[in-house]
Amino acid sequence: MSKLSTIYFQYIKNYYRSKSFYLMLFLILVIGVMMVYFSLRYVNTLPGFLGSTSLSPSLKETLFYYIWTFILANIPVFASVFFGSPALSSEIENRTAYYIFPLPINRYKLYIGKYLAAVTVTLIIVAIYTVFELGTLGFLFKNLPPVDFYYSLGLLILFILSIMSITFMISAIFNKNTYAYISVFIIYYIVFEAGSLIIELLYKVTPTYLLNEAATIIDRVYMNINTTDFLAKPSISPAPFSDVILAMLVMLIYLVVSFIIGMFLFERKEVS
Amino acid sequence: MEIFMDSLTKRYGKLTALNNINIDINSHGCVGLLGPNGAGKTTMLKLATNIIKPTSGRVEINNINVSQYPEKAMKYVGSLIEQPEFYPYLSGTEILEFTQKIRGISKEDYAIEVKRLKDETNITEFVNRKTGAYSRGMKQRLALAVAMLGDPEIIILDEPTFGLDPKGMYDIRGLIKRISKEHLVLLSTHLIYEAREVCDRTIIINKGNIGHDSKMVENKDLLKITADNKIKIISNKIINYTVDNDYIIIEKNKNFDNYEVINDLLNEGLKINYVEKYDNLENIYVSIINKEDSYR
Repeated sequence: MSKLSTIYFQYIKNYYRSKSFYLMLFLILVIGVMMVYFSLRYVNTLPGFLGSTSLSPSLKETLFYYIWTFILANIPVFASVFFGSPALSSEIENRTAYYIFPLPINRYKLYIGKYLAAVTVTLIIVAIYTVFELGTLGFLFKNLPPVDFYYSLGLLILFILSIMSITFMISAIFNKNTYAYISVFIIYYIVFEAGSLIIELLYKVTPTYLLNEAATIIDRVYMNINTTDFLAKPSISPAPFSDVILAMLVMLIYLVVSFIIGMFLFERKEVS
Repeated sequence: MEIFMDSLTKRYGKLTALNNINIDINSHGCVGLLGPNGAGKTTMLKLATNIIKPTSGRVEINNINVSQYPEKAMKYVGSLIEQPEFYPYLSGTEILEFTQKIRGISKEDYAIEVKRLKDETNITEFVNRKTGAYSRGMKQRLALAVAMLGDPEIIILDEPTFGLDPKGMYDIRGLIKRISKEHLVLLSTHLIYEAREVCDRTIIINKGNIGHDSKMVENKDLLKITADNKIKIISNKIINYTVDNDYIIIEKNKNFDNYEVINDLLNEGLKINYVEKYDNLENIYVSIINKEDSYR
């Protein structure tokens, strides 16, 4: 356990001093400031398609939480690309494997320690955005966040664990960072996003088993509006409980399966 | 302390990098691995340090199978393989502290040891800087300090003087000589003179096979003599000699100087034309490489 924590803190240190972290930090600050501006600017002048001024105060608050969370749900994907894609491939490409592999450490511990460090820095990025969200919406609506906020946050953490796990698995396959970066992008935005679209259009079925579909639950716990699902009817009510359970199950399966495969690949990884 | 390789084979697709290697190194001292590029030296060291896994056979460190129990086996090993890189945003000090915690070295022992290692590897000046800003030589020195941290019984070094200036190379050879008095050092090098200077035993590898494995005979005790006649040599100042078509190779008793031996030979009636020092290791090396090449 002490070795695991040593590895974890070592990688945390290397992550938060890296250029990737500062780039993500910059992006999140820009996005946070923009969201604050738009919230202040449009709180009383909502466009017609968002209900204009006819929304009740509580519904308006829920709508703003939905919009903020809609943006937030995309951040883990970018964070996992920045922090997760090169996580294991860089050990080979940057030759740090020659230093770390011969040390008396189990490779499983290395994998878990680095994974937890990547998840932690992603959570830090997400936390910064959440502070912007809570500060702005608390100021505008003079309320504590609704209970849905906590559900959404819990689901977001599960999504981060899941997407990071997939990214680590992909990173364990490659010896070059570029291949890992490209593959993660392709898998998320082509295999998942485009695949989801094609399946819906061709087969008139919502592929709830795809991770991107499951991740929509993060904002749908406020309002059941899925912008990527042409088949579902939008509703201002929260997504049904069964949808939440299904999405959790899908994310959990992706998390566990890719984690096991990733560890297996990394254990057998050779530096040649 | 022991490194034991049993029927060790490593293949990359159709290429056999190491072919059925059997080696037992079981006492302190320096064992030099010599061979041309692509001979299999680094592959052997990577197998011994869990960087790669064997296709068949096994490597044991102190009777522990490296592939099966790497965490246990690597406790006894400090290594410098290829030219390692470190995490660029961490300083040399942080790298050493990380290694200390992973190796389970107490803070008290670490404080004493790291001071000694900093002096020995000459890293004090830059150790607090981030490793991303290090030159090749600085990284190599830090890697040596990391390899020796915790005083492991076995130290595996792959071209440790690579990237160092002549003074640095001299210092590191001195360091290897010193540590090999109490540790088992497995040293891979391209440089025959380096192996000759620091090693007690040499293994020459070519194309994945062991071509030669023997104790080192000191170069200064070998003479190559060209003479007009050939006679039976009986001088007690000579341990052994071999007669070739063109010359005689003499292994002299190390208690006598060259001129004393030559005088004896002249007195015995040998008509000496020319005497030079003989590098047997270089000759063995070249003959092994040439032999392998002639098979192709």
